[in-house]
Amino acid sequence: MESLLVPSLAKVDRIIQETPDVRTYRLKFKDDSLMDKFTWQPGQFVEFSLMGSGECTFCISSSATRRGFFDCSIKRAGVVTADIHSDIEEGDDVGIRGPYGNWFPLDDIKGKNLLFVGGGIGLAPLRSLIQYAIDNRGDYKDFTVLYGARTSADLCYKEEIEEWKKNTSLKVVLTIDKPEDSWKENVGVVPKILEEVVKPEIANTKVITCGPPIMIKYTLQSLDRLGFDPKDVITTLEMKMQCGLGKCGRCNIGSTYICKDGPVFTYEQLKALPDEF
Amino acid sequence: MSFSTFVTDKAGLQKLYEAIISKYETYAPVEKFGKYDYKKVSSLKECDPDSPIAMTMSVKPLFFPRSSKIMKYEANSAGTSIRETDQDPLAGQRVILGVKHCDARGLQVLEAVNKWDYIDSDFLKRRANTVILSNRCDKADTHCFCTSLDYDVENLDAPDVAIVNGTNGKIYVQARTEKGETFLKENSSEPMANRITNDELQMTNCEEDLTKQYEAFLSSFRLKMDYKDVNERMAKRFDSPAFEEASRNCVSCNTCAFICPTCHCFKISDEKIKDTGVRYKSYDSCNNVYFTLEAGGHNPRPAKYRRWRQRSMHKFVYYKERFGVNLCVGCGHCAISCPVNISIFEVVNHVASAPIES
Repeated sequence: MESLLVPSLAKVDRIIQETPDVRTYRLKFKDDSLMDKFTWQPGQFVEFSLMGSGECTFCISSSATRRGFFDCSIKRAGVVTADIHSDIEEGDDVGIRGPYGNWFPLDDIKGKNLLFVGGGIGLAPLRSLIQYAIDNRGDYKDFTVLYGARTSADLCYKEEIEEWKKNTSLKVVLTIDKPEDSWKENVGVVPKILEEVVKPEIANTKVITCGPPIMIKYTLQSLDRLGFDPKDVITTLEMKMQCGLGKCGRCNIGSTYICKDGPVFTYEQLKALPDEF
Repeated sequence: MSFSTFVTDKAGLQKLYEAIISKYETYAPVEKFGKYDYKKVSSLKECDPDSPIAMTMSVKPLFFPRSSKIMKYEANSAGTSIRETDQDPLAGQRVILGVKHCDARGLQVLEAVNKWDYIDSDFLKRRANTVILSNRCDKADTHCFCTSLDYDVENLDAPDVAIVNGTNGKIYVQARTEKGETFLKENSSEPMANRITNDELQMTNCEEDLTKQYEAFLSSFRLKMDYKDVNERMAKRFDSPAFEEASRNCVSCNTCAFICPTCHCFKISDEKIKDTGVRYKSYDSCNNVYFTLEAGGHNPRPAKYRRWRQRSMHKFVYYKERFGVNLCVGCGHCAISCPVNISIFEVVNHVASAPIES
């Protein structure tokens, strides 16, 4: 067991300041052959460790269709993430274990309209699938990204979103909670914009959503109102985890281990779990 | 497959124990302040394989250590290097004497989670390299309820060799696994040579003797439970306020989880001084308020009753759903050691008999 918990060393190739409290760490394994072999599916996560501070669970926020590196987007929230933000510089070493967990149901979403609904740092796990779907654009029909944050400064991946907007095969809808002087896009919380601006087609559409708990709660209600089948709504859960291997007993909801059976679940599956959280 | 039974007496058994201790790395219950813990021993005088039930700790730490080193590392501005630790997950064979049946069952129950998906090869290797000699108790303790749960205490195949007392000073030494059979054949000394085969069981009246003894053992239990009924009733009472009532006195000290033969939650933590650090895997408990505390301050189980709900549902519902066995062996050690006298038996019975919330 102990040997399964030993990480491999990766070098921080680039740090991108996404928002005042979110940074994306672009990572490359120090062992080139490991980097060549390393692959993952959109939605999977890794255990990221800063020696001396500890390990944290982060989704991989880039797609394996883009080779040679992988990204973790990290919001400063607790003890370890504060250390990561203050101590890690480009060129430093970190420990990585993974990839772990299940992934977005790639077969189920093939040939469907894709509607991504993200809020704040919740765009990170979606970005992995968005990149994957852009790289396999022919496999999907309409492609919409609805993304919101509290303020315009809190929007992650600003440069990449500009590229998405230039891509005529995707529709990008942005929103912030309150009006700002130079803001020309939508104003209002994500569920409101979903119902009033995006007005999605229900038939043949898969919704993939992630965001802060309060956004998820109201977004799921909106999707219900719009008439989406819970089977067609996919989300990814975040729980306190440590081993990622289904052993340490931390992330279970009922008999479901989020680290092994998840983190990706449909709304239908979520409804069947005990209402613990 | 049928295994051998030897009949002997106290002197013969002692001789067997002595032979084992002189030949193998041996662990056995050692008394300290009136309680017993499994320790490495070099002579029979140091230990008491026939110890009373009150153990300070289950046999679990010999297979799943309280704390183990995952790795050592050097990290400074020049970079990071990782060294796997030289901890040996037990290369040679060892023997543990005087294991209680409930305790041995605990290891069997733990195998399920350690074999699931990612395999904990260290745990399995430690078990494979260990011969367990168990003593079936003659009498239940105040908090025991092993005979009420989902395993056959009398015919349990969790120990490799089971030692059961008969009448008139007779002691039956029974191989329960192939490993135990081989071990007994290799180590039975002269007073042990009185081997009874299965055909002879009836002839020598030993079966009758064993049945009589087992009935006496069964009748000594104060606590009885219908575990199937409890499994079903617990599953329907997730929202029951009974969890709050049952857990009110808990001081969240985690003793119950550390001492439990089946609790297996652990945490991963770093200790770094200057450039050198160690990463540890150590026991943790769902009763610990920090167990599910997330970065940013959100805690899905901030209240005691939520943590007790997790603890008791994991033992009697979730683990059963996932792996087919209860994550409780009825040893009662948690109740013996609890500073505020909470017993898992009473908690699950209280919840299981509470009315269902509409």
